[in-house]
Amino acid sequence: MKILIPIDGSANANRAVEHVIASRAWLKEAPQVFLLNVQWKLASANVKMFINQETINAYYREEGMAALAAARALLDTAGLAYSYHISVGLPAEAIVQYAREQQVDQIVMSAHGQGMLSELLLGSVAGKVAQLAPMPVMLTK
Amino acid sequence: MMEWFSNSQMWIALLQIIAIDILLSGDNAVVIALACRNLPPEQRKKGVMWGVGGAVTLRVVLTFFAVSLLTLPYIKLVGAALLLWIGVKLLLPEDEGEGEHIKADTHLWGAVRTIIVADFVMSLDNVIGVAAAAKGHMGLLVFGLLISIPLIVWSSQLILRLMDRFPAIIVLGGALLGYVAGEMLLSDPLVQHWGESMPHWLHQAVPALGALLVVVLGKWLAARAWHAEKALDLVDEQVTGKSDNTR
Repeated sequence: MKILIPIDGSANANRAVEHVIASRAWLKEAPQVFLLNVQWKLASANVKMFINQETINAYYREEGMAALAAARALLDTAGLAYSYHISVGLPAEAIVQYAREQQVDQIVMSAHGQGMLSELLLGSVAGKVAQLAPMPVMLTK
Repeated sequence: MMEWFSNSQMWIALLQIIAIDILLSGDNAVVIALACRNLPPEQRKKGVMWGVGGAVTLRVVLTFFAVSLLTLPYIKLVGAALLLWIGVKLLLPEDEGEGEHIKADTHLWGAVRTIIVADFVMSLDNVIGVAAAAKGHMGLLVFGLLISIPLIVWSSQLILRLMDRFPAIIVLGGALLGYVAGEMLLSDPLVQHWGESMPHWLHQAVPALGALLVVVLGKWLAARAWHAEKALDLVDEQVTGKSDNTR
């Protein structure tokens, strides 16, 4: 079973990882875990005039790896195989795109990740994923 | 000073200035942060400090330069044209793959120079926009300047994300720039000279036309350059379980 866990680096998101680790107990075989961190695009055409793409990508990579670190540590400790991935774009859309590409069976994510203000202004990522994804989405608390 | 608060035009100008500052200042902070990334860690802070200092100074100088320049005839025509272009540029999608030839700066002065050159270009956009919205009012201009400085110094990722998530904000921003461009055009002495015989409705129609022009032109150019926007894949790694030496 392929399970995608979107990770934004928040404690809530890591609880989704803990949930999947615990689910080993009732799954017939160990799940194949995909971690995904999505970085917001922050370079506009103006920025690209002065900063090369390599530097911008290095920034995304560094931020993404930092966000994934805690979730990876949890899976390492649990001894669960996983792959991790960083993409750049709009979070909900990028999560669903990756889930389709990898043909995952389920998305497990926290109902709330980002801060209150972001959620208020930008809308709930979990809600949007649940709406767009063709596969079941499990929201953890 | 007190009649300010009852003057609705003043409030509108104030809101326009805040909106223009927000739209046209976010990139500065991003450039500052990114330009210093390739510096050795102990120099990063210094690079950011010098970069921000230079950027703020430059913006103050440009603002006052713009004020004195805009009192000359014809300059407002140029300003209006520039402003229309800035509005259209705001609506255009970023070019993928551009920027590969730009060398990353690994020494302090290179990074500071990049920041200042970038800030010059971006401040020009901002200063023209704010100057147009301030309509020659000194207090408003200084207000616009003061609002923009914290926006340069602390990037608000939230603002950039909002613009990413709700592209309508950018369209409205482009329309606003087109609108103030129209107003600026009308306030040029040359146009005002003809304007005396102009019917009154034209004074409202020109800014509205400016807004429309920016949105239509921007949308049209964007549609030509459009390619389905897909999330970009950056890192893809496998970690096999059961062992600790996977990294």
